Amino acid sequence: MNQSDIANYCIEKLKQAGSDKSQCAVSFSEKKELNVETGEMSLFRTTFDTNIGLSVIVDQKSGSVAINKTDTESIDDAVNKVMDMAKSSQPDDANDISPAQPQQSFSKGDEKPDMDKMYQRLDEFMDYVKTTHPTINMEAAVVDFSQSTSVFKNSNGVEFTTREGMYGFSNMFTAKDGKDTSSFNGMGISTLNLDTPFIESGSAKRLLKQSTEQVRTKPVPEKFTGEIVITPDCLGDFLGFITGDISDGKIISKTSIYKEKLNQQITDPKFTLHARPVSDEITDGYFITDDGYTAENSTIIDKGILKTHLLSLYGANKTGGQRAVNSGGAFVVDAGEKPKDEIIRNVKKGILLERFSGGRPSADGEFSGVAKNSYYIENGKIQYPISESMISGNIQEMFNNIGAISSDRIDFGSCIFPWISFKGVTVS
Amino acid sequence: MNIPHDISQYNHHFKDYTELRVQENRVARISLTNGDVTGNVSSAQSGISARVFKDGNWGFSSAPEFNDDSVGRVVKSSTENVQFMNLKDTSRCGLILPDTLGEYKMDFSTKKIRENQKYWVDFAREVDGYIEKKFPELLSRNVVIAGTDMEKSLSTSDGSKSYSMTPRSFLVVTVAIEKDGSPVNLYELFGGLGQMEDNLLKPSDFFPKLDELVNRLKQKADGIFPKAGLQNVILDADLAGILAHEAIGHTTEADLVLGGSVAGDMMGQEVVSPLITLVDYANTFNDKTCPVPVYVDDEGTPSKDTVIIKDGVLKSFMHNKESAQHFETHPDGNARAYAFSDEPLIRMRNTAFVPGTSSLEDMISSIDDGYYLTKSSNGQADSTSEFMFGIAMGYEIKNGKIGRAIKETTISGIAFDVLKTVDMISDEMSWSAGGMCGKKQWIPVGMGGPAIKCKVNIGGR
Repeated sequence: MNQSDIANYCIEKLKQAGSDKSQCAVSFSEKKELNVETGEMSLFRTTFDTNIGLSVIVDQKSGSVAINKTDTESIDDAVNKVMDMAKSSQPDDANDISPAQPQQSFSKGDEKPDMDKMYQRLDEFMDYVKTTHPTINMEAAVVDFSQSTSVFKNSNGVEFTTREGMYGFSNMFTAKDGKDTSSFNGMGISTLNLDTPFIESGSAKRLLKQSTEQVRTKPVPEKFTGEIVITPDCLGDFLGFITGDISDGKIISKTSIYKEKLNQQITDPKFTLHARPVSDEITDGYFITDDGYTAENSTIIDKGILKTHLLSLYGANKTGGQRAVNSGGAFVVDAGEKPKDEIIRNVKKGILLERFSGGRPSADGEFSGVAKNSYYIENGKIQYPISESMISGNIQEMFNNIGAISSDRIDFGSCIFPWISFKGVTVS
Repeated sequence: MNIPHDISQYNHHFKDYTELRVQENRVARISLTNGDVTGNVSSAQSGISARVFKDGNWGFSSAPEFNDDSVGRVVKSSTENVQFMNLKDTSRCGLILPDTLGEYKMDFSTKKIRENQKYWVDFAREVDGYIEKKFPELLSRNVVIAGTDMEKSLSTSDGSKSYSMTPRSFLVVTVAIEKDGSPVNLYELFGGLGQMEDNLLKPSDFFPKLDELVNRLKQKADGIFPKAGLQNVILDADLAGILAHEAIGHTTEADLVLGGSVAGDMMGQEVVSPLITLVDYANTFNDKTCPVPVYVDDEGTPSKDTVIIKDGVLKSFMHNKESAQHFETHPDGNARAYAFSDEPLIRMRNTAFVPGTSSLEDMISSIDDGYYLTKSSNGQADSTSEFMFGIAMGYEIKNGKIGRAIKETTISGIAFDVLKTVDMISDEMSWSAGGMCGKKQWIPVGMGGPAIKCKVNIGGR
C-alpha cells in the first residue's frame, strides 16, 4: 500500500471499529548524516523510518497511537489498541478533529542529497576551524539531509500531502589553550541548499572566534543592576517562557501569567513577535498544524500587545479561547533601528549574554542562571569574557524594559532573531 | 515486534567489524490536568541497525523492518557508507578496535498480569480525585502515568550477544497554588526501574506522599528569598546526583575529554576533597539493582563499574571502544544508544558519589547559617565543570536547625572547586531514577548519592 492507501485503510478500519472521528498521518523518511566526532569526520549514517500516527474519538473520549510498521497486521493491532485506549478514557467535549478543508499538496527542498557537496562543505568547515582557530576542539559537527513524504487524512475528509527535503548543520566545540578551557558552545541551522559555506551560516564564525577568547575568563567585578544585551543565539531561551506560558498547558491549567492578557500590553512597544511557518523567510517551517489545519502565519505580539494565545483546537475548545492559526515555532522578531554594535556602545554597565544556563523560570517569571560564553561591558566597550557570573530578574519585567532591538538579525532557518538589550537585570 | 533473545543467526551477513541490533522502544503516557484526560498516547518504534567499522571510519544504517533480507540491506548500506568515507579519507586507516566479548540476558518485565489502559486511567483519576477532594484550595493539578520499555538484542562480529528488556515507569504529580496573585508549583516523581504493575501498586500507597507534597508546596508558597552569594549548603541526594552526573560525569566522558574538557589534564591528580569517591555503576550497588542497569553495552562490551574519582583523585574516564583504544585502556561498557536508529555514544549509566560516614542530622547541626537544598528543577554543566542547577525546593538552616522554606532559585559554581569544599558526606544512598540525559540522543540515566555539605553560590536578586 502507498501512503494514501494506508491512511484510507486506517480511517476505514477505525470507522468500522466504532470511532466517531479519526485522523491518520503516515510518513516515510530517510536521513543521510555525516558526523565529525572529536575533530575527525569518521561516521556516515543512513536511516530509514516510517511513522503512522492514529488519533481517534469515541463518545468524546480520545486516544492516540504511533507505530513505525506498515504491514496490515501491525496496523490492525494499532487500530484495536487506539480504540481500546479511547474507550478507556474520559469524555471531554473539547476533543475534536479539524473540519473539512480543501485538499492540498505541499512541497519544498531537494528530493535527494548531494552527498559529495555535503562532504565538501563539512570538510571545508573543519579545514577553516583547524587553520583559523587551532585552539578549537570540535567535539561534534553534523551535516544531514532529511527527506520525507507525508499524508494526513481525517474522517472529516481532510487530505494533505507533504514532501520535504532539508539540510541541517550543527556543531559543538570548546577552545583549549594549554590547560585553560572555554565553556562549550555551538549552533545549528537549517537550509534548503548548500550554496553557503557553513562558516558563513548562522553565527558560526562569531562563536568560534569568541570561544578562542574565552579560555581565560574572570567574574564580573561586582554585583550590579545593569543592562544585558541578549544575542540571537540566546534569545530563544527567554522567549520560550512567554510562548510556553501562552500555550495549551499553562492556559488550560490556569497557571499562565498571560491568561487574561489578550489584546493587552505585555511587553515594551518596541517588541513584535511573529510565528511564520509558511513564509518565504523561514526555511524550516511547516505546512500543517499538529491538529490538522493548514498552517498560517500570525503575529503573536504586536508592538507589545498580545494578539493571540497559542492554543490548539483542544485548548481552544477547553478554554473557550480562539484556536491559533499555527502551532507556534518559526518565530521571527522584528528588527529594530540600531546596529548591534551601537546598542553595545550605549551600555554603561552590563553583559553581552551569548549563552544562558538557567534554571527553569518560576511560574511568575522569576529566573536566575549563569552567563555562559558572555562578556562584561563597561562604558560602551566589551571588556573581557566572564565566568562564574549570574544574572537574575523577572522575564515579564525584562520584556517591559527593553532598551533597544538591533537592526541586524541572525537567520537560523527555523527562526530569525535580533540582539535585544534589557535594562534592570541583576548581575552578580 | 518480537525481539529474539539471540540474533547471532544473522552474523553471516557480516564481512567487516559489525554490530547488529534489533530494538523496540515502547512508550505509554496518560496525563490528567485538573481531572481531564489531556493525554492518552502510546507508541512503539522498532527496527534494526548495523554499524560497520573499517579502516578507521564508521558506517551506520537502520530500517524499521526486521527479517533476513532487511538485515542484509542495512549491513550492505552501512558497508557502502564506510566505503564512501574511506574513499574520501584514508588518514585513519590502521586504527584497530579492542576486542570485547560479552554475553548476557536480562529481562525486567513484570511477572504480573499486565493491566489494561482503563485500569491506568482509573488509577490516575483516583490519585487526582484524592488531591482534588483533600486540597480544593489548589490552583491546578497535573497527574501523569508514564512508562518506557527498551527491549533490545545485540550481536557483534566479535562474538558478543546480549538481550535486555529494561523498563521504567513513573507517577508524576505536579500541584500549583496561587500566592499573591502568582502561581507557585511543585512536582514529585514516584517509580523507577520496572513496569507500572511493579512500581504503582495502588493509588492509596501514594496518598501520604501527596499530603507531604502539598504541605511542601504551601511551605514554598510562603517561602523566603534565599540570600544570594556563596553559602554553606547541604545538597540532598537528588542534587548531589545531578552534580555527580552533570558537572563531573560529563567532563570525564572520553569524547568530551578529547573535545577539550577541563578534566583532560587532571588524570591522577587530587581534584576534589579526599572524602569524595565517584563511581559510574554499571548495574548493581550494594547488591541492589541500579535504576538503569547495563550488563552488556551496545558495542558488545561487558559492563563494569567505572571508578571516576577515588578518594579525591581522578582515576578514570568513561570510554567506548574507539576512545579506549586512543587512551590505551579498556572500555567498561558505556557505549549506549537510545533508539534502534541511533548509534552508540559514550553515556553514563548510574553515576553517584559513594556514601560517607556522617548522619544527615549531624550535617544540619553543623551549620549555623545556610541552606538545605532538597529538590532540583533542572541542571546544566559544561566542559569547564561550571554548573547551574534550578532549585525547586529547599530550606534555610539557622543555628543547626531546619527553618523556613525558600523560593525557587539556582545554584552555580565550578564543580571541581565546589567539591573541594566538601567536609561532610552522609551515610545514606538515595537513587533518582527519572533522569534523561541529552547528548545528540536522549537516554535514561540513573543518578544518586548521599547528601553532601559544601559551599556553593546561590543566585537571586
